[in-house]
Amino acid sequence: MTEFGLRLAISLTQIAAVMGVVVVTVLILTLAERKVLGWMQDRMGPMEVGPYGILQPLADAIKLFFKEDIIPAGANKFLFTVAPILCLIPAFIGFAVIPWGPNQTFEVNGITVRPFVISDINIGILYILAFASLGAYGIILGGWASNSKYSLLGGLRSAAQIISYELNVGLSIVGVLILAGSLSLVKITDAQAGGFWNWYLFALPAPQIFAFVVYVISSVAETNRVPFDLPEAESELVAGFFTEYSGLRFAFFFLAEYANMVLVSCVAAALFLGGWNAPYPGTIMALIGVPSLAWVENTMWFAVKTYSFLFLFFWLRATLPRLRYDQLMRFGWKVMLPIALGNIVVTSLAVFFYQQMK
Amino acid sequence: MASTATTKRLNLYEWFKTITFYEILVGMKATLSHLLNYRPVTLQYPHEKRTLPDNYRGMLALLRYDDGTEKCVGCDLCEAACPSRVIRVVSAEVPGEPTKRYSKEYYMDMTRCLFCGMCVDACPVDALGMTREFEWAVYDKRQLHLNKQQLLAIGDRSFPVREKRLELQHPNVAFFNVAFKHVPPKPN
Repeated sequence: MTEFGLRLAISLTQIAAVMGVVVVTVLILTLAERKVLGWMQDRMGPMEVGPYGILQPLADAIKLFFKEDIIPAGANKFLFTVAPILCLIPAFIGFAVIPWGPNQTFEVNGITVRPFVISDINIGILYILAFASLGAYGIILGGWASNSKYSLLGGLRSAAQIISYELNVGLSIVGVLILAGSLSLVKITDAQAGGFWNWYLFALPAPQIFAFVVYVISSVAETNRVPFDLPEAESELVAGFFTEYSGLRFAFFFLAEYANMVLVSCVAAALFLGGWNAPYPGTIMALIGVPSLAWVENTMWFAVKTYSFLFLFFWLRATLPRLRYDQLMRFGWKVMLPIALGNIVVTSLAVFFYQQMK
Repeated sequence: MASTATTKRLNLYEWFKTITFYEILVGMKATLSHLLNYRPVTLQYPHEKRTLPDNYRGMLALLRYDDGTEKCVGCDLCEAACPSRVIRVVSAEVPGEPTKRYSKEYYMDMTRCLFCGMCVDACPVDALGMTREFEWAVYDKRQLHLNKQQLLAIGDRSFPVREKRLELQHPNVAFFNVAFKHVPPKPN
């Protein structure tokens, strides 16, 4: 019983820590996005709350907490209530299999603890893809239950878009899975250790550069970000699927979108950019004689990779206008899908002949 | 043959541009250069205010002479000049001086004012002025229906330097605020 209690306590601590990191990252992102967009457009971004506006996320959070929670007349109350939660949970649940730092363990009272991953399940990436697809239900149900034409159109667009691009995300990842021979994110990251030439973006025998480009574009589309923000196109559909939402429910959708961004960035970092591995062999900490602190450096590298990917999201948002709907679909099915499929063929052949040569 | 070769080369070039996302990268370079050379054009309004131009037309005000008497002679020309019917003047005789008139009541409905300055131009005695005030947002729009006292108060706080009251040639003649060279000065 005490062992079970200890395991539970350790797991809950890990979950709380990861959730805390993710929520803080989302808070930072909401500010960082407005700031970076502002700077790119010769503006200042939020400047009023706190010095240089750094307390703006807190002000936004307080505002959203105290806003009136409106359920529109004619809405399906149950689905309207459930949709934001259905959207939020899949966005957060994927972080369970992300390895944040080196694959090391320590013992507490005979229980082995892996501090940097909540659970290393052997189908990690499949689990993330499955829950990312479930998130679409929240959007579709929210759009349908609102009893509003804008919400309904936003939800339908989102359904079509997420289904189309989910496929490309899945197929672009397959190349990496062939190279690593595993679906576990921990194993995939471990296989990329020892310098940036071992990252699957550059690794021989089959550099996954095309797969990476397909993944980046598809993940932008999957998280409904500019230039693929058709489900919430504000010039056509007031705010798309969350037009009728207000207060905390709106905050849930907002949080889910940003958590999805973070998740997609983490997956990109883990699959293509070597995860927590530094771009040079080993770590500086081990070199200067404190190998017990190597995890600090590795976690820093993971954060750097994730945040640069998130910066790319803002950068694209500041640069590109929204695509038309037929362009989005044509691009997804006629360009991204053949590239991803071709990448699988090329990678398989390369890996096959590479193993034959060895 | 040469032409097909050039078109093929161009097509290859275009194709290369397409697969490397050349146009998008050009756009991203532009946004990044703005981020790196960060020079915001924003003015943090309540904290810093732009300098107004010299001929700025702000809130209207009624003015006084240096001895504290009102300039307005109640001629109604401002009311006639106003394109949005902002002004309403109730003119009356000055008590005890039947030939002189003044504005007994003077109302301005600033909700309609478009700040064209025509009333100021129309005024023969320069009794109206445009101040440089512009922060007149209120919660109740009735607060923008100004009466004579309020307009005089605005003038008092915005125009501390007042015009000197001219000596009139004859008390029975209404004079506008102009110097008549052919009229001999009044023996004082």
